[in-house]
Order: sequence, then structure tokens, then C-alpha cells
Amino acid sequence: MLACRGLTKQYETDRGPVAAVRSVDLDIESGCYAAIVGRSGSGKSSLLGMIGGLSRPTGGRVLIGGTDIWALSEAGAAAFRNARIGFVFQFASLLPNLRALDNVALPARLAGTMSRRAILERALERLADVGLDSHAEAFPFELSSGEQRRVAIARALMNDPALLLGDEPTSDLDEQTEREIMALLRDISRSRGTTLVLVTHNLALAAQAQRIVHIADGVVVP
Amino acid sequence: MSAASSCRLVLALAVQNLGRRQSRTLLLVAAIAVASAVTFGGVVAMRSVVASMQIGLSRVGADLMVVNQAALTNLTDALLTVEPTDSTLPADALARADVAGIARLAAQRILRTDQSGLGGAGELVDLIGFDPATDFTILPWLSERLTGPMQPGDVILGAARNLPLGTQVVLFGQPFRVYGKLARTGSGTQERGVFLHMASLIGLGDDVQARTGAVPPMLEPANVTGFLVQLAPGVSELQLRFALLSNVAGIKVIVGGSLLTGIRQGLVALLGGLVLLVVALSASTAVMVMVLFSAIMAERRREMGLLKAIGARPGQIVAIAVAEAAFATAAGGALGVVLGLLLLRLFERALVHHLSEMGIPFLWLDGAGTAAIAALCVAGAALVGMAGAWFPAWRMGRRDTHDLLWKEG
Repeated sequence: MLACRGLTKQYETDRGPVAAVRSVDLDIESGCYAAIVGRSGSGKSSLLGMIGGLSRPTGGRVLIGGTDIWALSEAGAAAFRNARIGFVFQFASLLPNLRALDNVALPARLAGTMSRRAILERALERLADVGLDSHAEAFPFELSSGEQRRVAIARALMNDPALLLGDEPTSDLDEQTEREIMALLRDISRSRGTTLVLVTHNLALAAQAQRIVHIADGVVVP
Repeated sequence: MSAASSCRLVLALAVQNLGRRQSRTLLLVAAIAVASAVTFGGVVAMRSVVASMQIGLSRVGADLMVVNQAALTNLTDALLTVEPTDSTLPADALARADVAGIARLAAQRILRTDQSGLGGAGELVDLIGFDPATDFTILPWLSERLTGPMQPGDVILGAARNLPLGTQVVLFGQPFRVYGKLARTGSGTQERGVFLHMASLIGLGDDVQARTGAVPPMLEPANVTGFLVQLAPGVSELQLRFALLSNVAGIKVIVGGSLLTGIRQGLVALLGGLVLLVVALSASTAVMVMVLFSAIMAERRREMGLLKAIGARPGQIVAIAVAEAAFATAAGGALGVVLGLLLLRLFERALVHHLSEMGIPFLWLDGAGTAAIAALCVAGAALVGMAGAWFPAWRMGRRDTHDLLWKEG
């Protein structure tokens, strides 16, 4: 499902180039729940950014379902992210001026392949999947942090992606909510067969994953 | 994604973004409205002032009058027509001399006669031949006229002659149509005068000869009664007078009011300066709007990154920002036009009314011209906003999505 070959990321700084990720080779099977763990600054977010098509690698390739995503054009990469990858971020990533329903519908509206009615029906289904169909009309400021994160998960699932990526998706939530969100993500991965890759520095959460990838100083350690 | 669907989404997001920050949106609209009001009001007032001044300055008349040295003249500040005299000059006298410093030159022929058949028996009538193509002292005084340009069979009547437009007058047996009437000038010759095409006046030669026994010298094609001269910018009356007297024999040069000439030349320069000032104000407003939109886009960096992450193309990011700016600034521009109209109303009450009471004409720009400037102001405001938003949005669309989401600045 997901393959990284020689993936490298180097940042230019005033003190010269700094390597965040160094020649990482990684294979994650379809439907697998994988956790990428490491200390702050170890390069795990940079690795996830390259896997998700958000940050261009300095070197190497990322293959998702056989597609080299960094060989795609800008528009092609945008369409690929829209159709095949879902993101859940560590910040409240909802557009504040849109209702929960419209936030969830956004990826499908960007894709533009479905009728407006079908989009809203599916968005309502996704909200129901995360237990928030009764909050469809609510604006983000009317939702708790945990509810906002659930809406973000519903949005990530809107276009039925094959790959769901989460960058510390529960880092700012209380323990109870964190457990609920993680349980939700695992259920979704299991029930839909979605490949789930989460970045976390919480080893207890990582322990629940089927596969743990340790990264230190930009290198995957065995 | 279909273009219509993409367009709907972009517009919806733009409108929702504007509604999200209502205070800032209102401030932006207000700032654009003030700038638009100043520009709209300034341009309309300026165009009206220029049009009025063109009329007003033209009515000031010529700077110099050139006649035969034997001619008797009645010197006034406003040189509008040459004085009736039998002394003439060669029609090409000034052209042959090729004297520098002349901006405009208008030849005139004047026949003072009591045989024309116009008015009561024995009434003296001044028939003034001029060329509408080169004239700059008679046509500006038209207070009313028929539509279309003056034709060879038309005459213009001085203010003292009270005949309706379109009626027929007969001069030496030939019919002419009353094309226009002049406002009161205070110049006797002009107020009593009947103005006709130069060629039409020459064409009366045979009829005049039949009644008076001779063709007067000013009706000979080779002669004119005199010339009215307007100075080129930066040239003084004395300089040109000296140059003319040195180069053309047998002439008399009459100088008008030097104060009026100075005002005419000074006002032209002042108007140019005011236009530059309006342009500079508009340009500085455009730069301010661009800076404002740069700040707005920087503030929404993470939101744009999020949209890119979930599949928005760079072009859609730019379109959202540009549409948002266009809505806000076009609304500001439209509001500014309304404010500008109110400002012009105040201007009319304060200054135009005062000028009108003093007998100084003020010509407002016509409705079509005003509407065109209003449309340009609204479009210009929208363009300024779009340009201001486009560059930072374009830069943002090209940036790494990960940087937009996680990096500051």
C-alpha cells in the first residue's frame, strides 16, 4: 500500500543544511494501523508530511498504491490527496465559518464529482459514523475540542481515502477524549480497511498499533 | 472538478470568509469607500472644472489681435472679434512670416453694412466671417444652438438679435438658417454681429456689389480684416508682439489683458498638477490595500495550508483570496461612488451655486460621463483589491503545504 524508498528531507538554515529525514525505506501494508514514534525533532512529522504529499522530499520516492505521488503535477498531486489521502491534524483544523456538515463536505466539494445533494447526504453519514450527526448544523466554536476532532475525522473520511494520516491527532485532548478518538480511529481502520498511519510521541497509544516505526535523528531504527 | 462547481465553492468560501471577520471587512470596505469617494468625486469635479474652464478661458478671448496698421481699434481686455474696418491684411500674412510662439490663430473678416436687409432700414449690421475649424473666440460663447455642426448656410446671432433658432434670415437676398445664439459678451460688435462661415461671407461679394456698386476689400478671398492670436505656453505677449512687428510689415498688434493670459496659462498648469495629485492618492491607496491583503493572507496561512492538504489546487487558493478581495473592494468602491455623489452635492451647494450667482458658468459632466467614471471607480477598486490579494495568495499557493501548516511567517 505505502512504500518509501530512500526518502530524504533536508532543510536549509542559516547555519547550513539540516537533515530531518535520512534515506528512509518503509513499507506499510494495506489496512495496517502503523504508529510512527520518536522524540520531538526526530523527523517523524517531516516523514509524515512527505508521505502525505504535503512536503516535497529532497530525495527519494513515496509510492501509494503504486503511484509515485511526487512525480505527479501540482494539480495531479492535489487531486490525489483529495481522493486517496485523509488527514487529521493536531490543531483544530476546521474552517470556522463553515458548519460541521459543510466542513465535512469540503473534500467532496473540492473534488466536484458528486451532486450537492449526494455530497450532503454522504457528509451526514460520515458525521453519523463519528457520532455527531445531531451536530451537523453546529459551527466549530459551538463544539468541544473532542467534537471538533471527530468532525475533522469525518472530513478525512469523506472521499473514502485508502490512507488516513494523523499527526499527533490527540495531543491537545484530555485522556478520556484521547482514548475515545483513538478507539474511533482504530474502528474506522478496521471496519473500512483504511491504512492508518499516526505520528505520536505517546508510547502507550503507539502500543495499540499493529506496527510501530521508531525514528531517531531522521533514521528508522530497528 | 467542473468549472461551475469550483466557481460556486470559491465564491461561497470567499463570502463566508468576509462574513467571518465582519469588523475587519467593514473597515476594509470603509477604507476603500473613502478612497473611492475621493477619487470619484475628485475626477468628476475635475472633469467638470476642466470643461467649465475650457469654456471660461475660451471666453476670455485672444491674447493678441493683428490688424492693418491703418485700422482703428477699440481696445478691450477681451479680444473676441476684430473691429470693423476697411483696412485689410493679406490672408496669408502670418502664415508666410512663420512666427514661433503662436498656439492658435483665427482669421476674421468683418463687413459693417446698412444694406444687408436685416433689421430696420438703414440699420448697421456687422457680418463677421470666421472659420469654425480654427475659431476659439466665438463658438465658446454659444448659449444655444441647433444639433450638429454649423453648416455653410448657417448663421449665429449676437445676443442683441432676438430671432428663434431654425428661423430664416436673408442677407443681401440670400437665405440663411439661424444655427445658434451667443451669450451676452459686453462687446458691442459681437452682440450686434451676425456670424457666418468665412466662405459664405465671401460668397456674398456679388450681391454686395450689386447693391453698393463695389466689392469691399475684406470680401476679396486674398484679404482678411485681421487675426486673433492665442499665445503658446511660456510665451509672453511682448515677445510675440515684437516678433510679429519684426517679421510682418504694415500691421498693428493689439495686446489684450495680460492678467487674463497669465491666469489662462497658470490654470492649465494647476489642473495638470491636480490630476497628478489624484493619481498619486489613488496609487498610495492601492499600495495600502496590497499591504493589508498581504497581512490578511499571512494570518490565514494555516487555513490555506489546510485547504491545500485536503485537495485544493493552488489556483483555487488564489481564486478564493482574489474573489474575497474583489467582493470587499467592489462593495467599497460602490459605496464610495454614493459618498462621492454626496460630496459633489455639497460641492455644488457650496461653490457651484456661488459661481452661478456671480455669473460664472459651471458645466457638470453629463450623466453618461459620470456613470462611466463611477463604473471605472468600482472596477478600479475591485482591481486594486484583486491585485493586492493575488500576489500574496499566489506566493502562498506555491509554498510547501507542510510549511503553511506548521511554519510561522
